Amino acid sequence: MCLAIPMQILSIDGTTARCSANGVEREVSLFLMQDRSLSMGDFVMVHVGYAIEQVQAIEAQRRWQLFDEMDRSADA
Amino acid sequence: MSTEAKQWLSRIQALKLPNRVHIINVCGGHERSIAQAGLRGLLPENIELIPGPGCPVCVCPEEDIYAAIQLALSEPVTLLAYGDLLRVPVNLPKGEPRTLMAARAEGADIRPVASPQEVLAIARDNPEKQHCFFMAGFETTTAPLAAMLAEGVPDNLSILLSARLTWPAVALLLNSDTPGFDALVAPGHVAAIMGAQQWSFVAQQHRVATAVAGFSSESLLAAFYSTLCQLLDGQPRLDNCYRDVVRDEGNLAAQRIIEQVLKVTDAHWRGIGVIANSGYTLRDGYMKHDARQRFSIVDDAQRHRAGLMPTGCDCTQVLLGKIYPNQCPLYGRSCTPRQPVGPCMISDEGACRIWWAAGVKS
Ligand code: SF4
Repeated sequence: MCLAIPMQILSIDGTTARCSANGVEREVSLFLMQDRSLSMGDFVMVHVGYAIEQVQAIEAQRRWQLFDEMDRSADA
Repeated sequence: MSTEAKQWLSRIQALKLPNRVHIINVCGGHERSIAQAGLRGLLPENIELIPGPGCPVCVCPEEDIYAAIQLALSEPVTLLAYGDLLRVPVNLPKGEPRTLMAARAEGADIRPVASPQEVLAIARDNPEKQHCFFMAGFETTTAPLAAMLAEGVPDNLSILLSARLTWPAVALLLNSDTPGFDALVAPGHVAAIMGAQQWSFVAQQHRVATAVAGFSSESLLAAFYSTLCQLLDGQPRLDNCYRDVVRDEGNLAAQRIIEQVLKVTDAHWRGIGVIANSGYTLRDGYMKHDARQRFSIVDDAQRHRAGLMPTGCDCTQVLLGKIYPNQCPLYGRSCTPRQPVGPCMISDEGACRIWWAAGVKS
């Protein structure tokens, strides 16, 4: 349940952001991110539709890699 | 495996560990990463990685699930819950609906959801009907729920809350006579919300090596290495091996929102018992959205007992890190994901299910 994935912010409208991860786009709530000044291109860790924390891009890339690997092992 | 992960691994292999070391994790996500990457098989033989109380659905009190089932069957309510909760059984005689799924088969309106936004959309689309969101989760999942309530929810939505805090379960183990571990890998996304600092008590008060970890092999191996070095130095401390995401103080805005909406209380953990300050209830200002206030939910005192895992299921021992999943006599025999007996084989975060999915078949 604490599974969260890093997504990149495409656009921000109030407390909602359009985010993408590996080509998938989603609406994400930024309501929990009131202390962070976020802008387009930033990465956030997303859990059940809410950004829970800002992420450095390096970690984001690494996590995507991990998900790709998990997908492969699930397919196998 | 990445070059960085291999480097961490060879550093760990180069350490001269005098004794067996037990490293516990308290997060289903950690356990899944460890099992999927096969880290146990790669580490030196004298390092044991123990899955601990990392599954909020597994510890969701039997009486809460029972109440949800009765509510969905007896009131004209749409009951919403994250998927794996729907399949967790309560202890009832054969023939009675033991899971929310079974209640759904009997006509109750029960739907799996994936996010608070989905809950809101369903409740708003059906304003004439009452909706109840039944939620079990740790801090990472509780913060979005608090955000949803703080932002405002429609009157026809109420919450049946079985949220739990993670650290009190670790404190319970540490205060017991036999904690059974020398080091803790602290949960990355709980720490992202609540702060790495929340785990400093483990090293400071209990002298147990501690490192916050993320979910990649690199971050986990770095955390193992850190705790092993702490043990070798004889100086347990709190290390943060997930700095790209986790700050010492955590996400203060999220903490404020949780604090605004929810109040910490003592809470029952299925199979374990009541743990002080380990659960949440809605604060007065949000009480009108508390399903326990809105409906006369069946509250059977009989069910307020610890130890109510399904008969024969060793989930309690698995959750407390006392046995590995495959040491349960039912594992892989009468209990498989296809025909699960206990919550640890049902929930995506249950150690039994994670081990099975990773290929441990006996
Ligand atoms: S294998 Fe099944 S019965 Fe045994 S502890 Fe796990 S969930 Fe419970």
